[in-house]
Amino acid sequence: MDTVFIGEHLWPGKLGQFFVVLSFAAALLATLSYYFETIKDKPDGSWLKIARSAYFINLMSIIGIGSCLFYIIYNHLFEYHYAWAHSSKSLPVYYIISCFWEGQEGSFWLWTFWQSVLGFVLVRKAKSWEPPVMAVIMLSQTFLASMLLGVEILGIRVGSSPFILLRDAVQAPIFARPDYLSMVADGNGLNPLLQNYWMVIHPPTLFLGFASMIVPFAYALAGLWQKRYTEWISMALPWALFAVMVLGAGIIMGSFWAYEALNFGGFWAWDPVENASLIPWITLIAAVHVLLAYKHSGQAYFTATFLTLVSFVLVLYASFLTRSGILGETSVHSFTDLGMFWQLLVFISVFTLIAIILVLTRWKYMPFSAKEEETYSREFWLFVGAIVLGLACLQILATTSIPVFNKIFGTEIAPPTQVIAHYNKWQLPFALVVAFISGFSQFLKYKKTDIRSFYVQLGRAALIAAVLTGLAGYIGGIYTNPMFMLLMFSSVFSVVCNIGILYNAILGKWKLAGSALAHIGFALLLIGAMVAAATNKVISVNTSGIGFGQEFAKDNNPRENIILYLNEPIKMDKYTVTYLGDSVSGPNTLYRVNYQVIDPETAKVTENFDLYPNAQQNVKMRQIIASPDTRHYLWKDIYTHVSSVPLKEEAAHEPHEGHSEEEDFGKPSIRAVKLGDTIAVRDAKIVVKAIKKGVHVNNMALSANDVSVALSLEVLSKAKTQLIDPVFVIKDGNVYDFGKTIEELGLKIRFTNINPKSNSLELTIFQRPPAEKKWIVMKAIVFPYINFFWGGTILMTIGFFLAILRRRNELKTA
Amino acid sequence: MKKSAILLIGIIAVAIGVIISTYADSSTYGSFNDAKDSAAELHVVGRLDLAKDMVYNPKKDANYFSFYVNDNKGTACKIVFTGTKPQDFERSEQIVLTGKMVGEEFHASKILMKCPSKYNKDQVEVKSTLQQS
Repeated sequence: MDTVFIGEHLWPGKLGQFFVVLSFAAALLATLSYYFETIKDKPDGSWLKIARSAYFINLMSIIGIGSCLFYIIYNHLFEYHYAWAHSSKSLPVYYIISCFWEGQEGSFWLWTFWQSVLGFVLVRKAKSWEPPVMAVIMLSQTFLASMLLGVEILGIRVGSSPFILLRDAVQAPIFARPDYLSMVADGNGLNPLLQNYWMVIHPPTLFLGFASMIVPFAYALAGLWQKRYTEWISMALPWALFAVMVLGAGIIMGSFWAYEALNFGGFWAWDPVENASLIPWITLIAAVHVLLAYKHSGQAYFTATFLTLVSFVLVLYASFLTRSGILGETSVHSFTDLGMFWQLLVFISVFTLIAIILVLTRWKYMPFSAKEEETYSREFWLFVGAIVLGLACLQILATTSIPVFNKIFGTEIAPPTQVIAHYNKWQLPFALVVAFISGFSQFLKYKKTDIRSFYVQLGRAALIAAVLTGLAGYIGGIYTNPMFMLLMFSSVFSVVCNIGILYNAILGKWKLAGSALAHIGFALLLIGAMVAAATNKVISVNTSGIGFGQEFAKDNNPRENIILYLNEPIKMDKYTVTYLGDSVSGPNTLYRVNYQVIDPETAKVTENFDLYPNAQQNVKMRQIIASPDTRHYLWKDIYTHVSSVPLKEEAAHEPHEGHSEEEDFGKPSIRAVKLGDTIAVRDAKIVVKAIKKGVHVNNMALSANDVSVALSLEVLSKAKTQLIDPVFVIKDGNVYDFGKTIEELGLKIRFTNINPKSNSLELTIFQRPPAEKKWIVMKAIVFPYINFFWGGTILMTIGFFLAILRRRNELKTA
Repeated sequence: MKKSAILLIGIIAVAIGVIISTYADSSTYGSFNDAKDSAAELHVVGRLDLAKDMVYNPKKDANYFSFYVNDNKGTACKIVFTGTKPQDFERSEQIVLTGKMVGEEFHASKILMKCPSKYNKDQVEVKSTLQQS
C-alpha cells in the first residue's frame, strides 16, 4: 500500500536525480565520441560534434545537480537525507556552502564540477589535442558521475545519490506515518569543526587541485596514444604547474584550518588523510622538474612520463584511501564508508591499466637518450632531485598504506606509535637534500657548465649561508640539534642561491623569477615548519600540586593543561594570564582570557591582549567542541584553546509536582533571636530591627483573635543593604508563615515561631550552597617563526603562478 | 661504473631502508594481556565501559583522566591518560589506545576515538506531537 506523505517536496530531488543520470549518460557518450574521433583515420568532425554536445550536456547537468542540491539545503528540505544529515535551520547562509561538501556525494560533485570546468578550457583551447585529451577526461567524468548514481544495476548498488529521501535512507517507524515530516524538527547540522571560513574555501581549492591533476595525465596519455611523444611535454607543463600551485595552496589552507580551528595544537600531523593529498602533490612537483629537464636536454623521458602518470593514479589512490573506509582506525577524519569500496577500486584500476598498457606498447618508440647526463649539468640534478622527491613520497606512501597492506595480506600491523617522529626521521633528510639541490642547481646550466665558475658561485653562496645559518640557528634556538642545523643550512643556502637568480630576474631576465620565487618560498616553508615544530613551547605547564599521587607523577609526562579560576591570575612563561569571564555568541561560548606582560622592574604593563578561545557546548550530548584563538605576531604566535570547561546544565528545570522551592536550598539553620541582634550568614549580616504587629496579609481574612506579626530585618551584604519582612501568622489556632527570599544571596528567611517564655523569635534561614567558582582548563602554546611557513607558502604560490605564465608564453611563441 | 647504475643502487638502498623502517617502527594491535607481556607501546582496540568510574576532576588535577575499557577479548582495564578528557568521549563507539601497562593500569599516550558522530548516525530526532495536555 502506498502512503501519501504530507508536505514533501519531491520535484527538486526528481529533477536532481534526472540530472545525475543525464550527466552519467552524457559523459559516457562524450567519452566514446571523443574516442572514435581520435581513432578515425580521416577525422571529418562528425564525432567531434557529438562529443562536444555530449560534453556540454554533461557540464549543464552537473550545474543542474549542484543547483538542485543547493535548493534542497538552502530551503531546509529535510525530507532529503543529505540536507537532514549535513545541515540545520540555524546554520548561517555562508556555511550552507560548507554543507555541500561535508558529505562524500557533495565532494564528488565538487570534483566532477571542476573537472568539467577544466574541460571547458580544453574544448576551447586544445585544438588538435582536444579529442584524445578530452577522451581521457570524459572517461574520468563518467566514473565520477557513476559515483553519484545511487541506482542498483544487477543487484549491485552503484554510487550514492545526494537526492535520496530520508525515509528511504533511514529505517524508522515514524516513516509509516503520512505526516512524518512535521515531526522531523531539524537537521543534524554541520559538524561544528567545519563551521569555519577556511572550510568554505579549502575544499573547493583542494578539489580544483585534484581535478586539474588529470590534465597533464591526459596529455601524457594522448601523447603516447597519438605518437606525439615529445610534443605533449610542452603542452602539459603549464597545466602541471597549475595543478601543483592550486593543490599546494589547497593543502596549506587545510593545514591553516587545522591550526586555526582544530585543537590538536599544530599545523601538520601526518594524518593519513593529509598524507594522501600530499603524495600526489610531491610526485607532480617532481614531474614538473623532469619535464623541464627533458624539454631542455632530451634526457629522462621515461621518468618524466612515469611521474606525470603516477601523480594522477595517486590522486585516485588518495580518494580511495579517504573514501573507502579502509583507513578505519588510523585516521580521525576520513569520510564514512558509503559502500563504494569496489567502485573506487575499479576507478583506480582502469586508469592504472590504461597507463601501463600505453607505456608498454609504446616502450620501443620512446625517445630514450643514448648518452648519459653530464654530472655538471642542470638536467642531471633536476633528475636527481626528482628521484629524491619520489623516494620521499615512497616513504610517506609506505607508512600511510599500512591499513591497505593489512587488508591485502590479512595482517594486523598497527601504524607506528610515534607517528610524527617516524615521518620526521625520514622526511627531514629528504627535505635537506632537496633544498640543497634546489640551491646549487641554480648555478648549473643545461647540458654543460663551466666547472670553475660553478664552484666559485657555490662557495660564495655556501659561505653566506653558513654565516646566516649560525645566526638563524642561534635566534631560532635550534643550534643544539645538528640535524636541524643541517636542514637550516641547506634551506638558507637555497634561499641565498635563489635570491641571486631573483636579483638577476629583476634586472632583466624576468622569466626566471617564477622558479626562483617558488624555491625561496619552499625553503622558507621548510625553515618555518622546522623551527615552529621543533621549538614550539607549551607555556601552560601545570606546576600546581599534583592531586593523584606519586605513582602517576613520576612518569614525567608533560602536564600541558592548566586550570584557571575566574579572576585569579596565573603566571605562565612571561605572561600573567587571567580568565575574565565568558560570553555567548550563537552556539559558541567565548572564554575571555587576558594576557599581560608586566615588567618586573617598573611593574608597568607592557603588553595586554585578550584571546577568546571558544567552545560549542552541546547540552544534550554533554560535550564541548573547542576551537582555539591565536594571537599573531610577526615572529611568533600565541595559541590558546580550552580543553575542558564546566558543562552548562539544561536550561529549564521541568516543574514537577511535589517539588518545593526549598529543595534547592541546603539544610536550614534555626536561630533564636531578639530585637537588635545581629546574626552572620555567608556573605551577609542580618540585623533584627523591629517587630510590626497586626500586619495585613494578602488573601487572608484575619479576626481579632488571630496573630500576624512581621519582622523587619536588615540584610547587609557587600553589595547593598536590603530590608525584608517575613511574616508569622496564627489563624484559628493554625500556624502559617510567609518567608522572604533574596535571590542574589541565595538566601531565604522564614519567621517560624515566637517563643513567649524566653521572649525570643525563631528564624529559619535557608541558604543555597555557594555557587561553584567558574573555571576553565586551557592549553597555551607559543609557535615561534611560524609565519615563515605561511609566508613561504604564499611566495611559492606566486612563484608557481609566474612559472605558469612563462611556460604558457613559450607555447604561444613556439 | 655508470652514474645511472650508482643512482639505481642508491634508490634501491633507500627504498629497502624505507620498507625496513616502516616495518620496524610499526606497532601491533593487541589486548591488555599482550600489553602486560610487552615493554613496548602497543595499540589496544576496545570499548569504553560506561558503567565504571570515569574520573576527570580538573580542580584536583587538570592533567589526569582515568576510565575503564574492555578490549576486544573482553578484558577490562583501568586506563590513565595524562591530559584532559577528550571531547565527545562518552559517545565514542570504539577506542584505539596507544600506550603500555604500568602495574595494573594502562597508561595511554594517545587516545583515538571512532565516534558514530552525530553527523552520521542515522537516528531521527522526533519532535513530539503528543505534547502533554
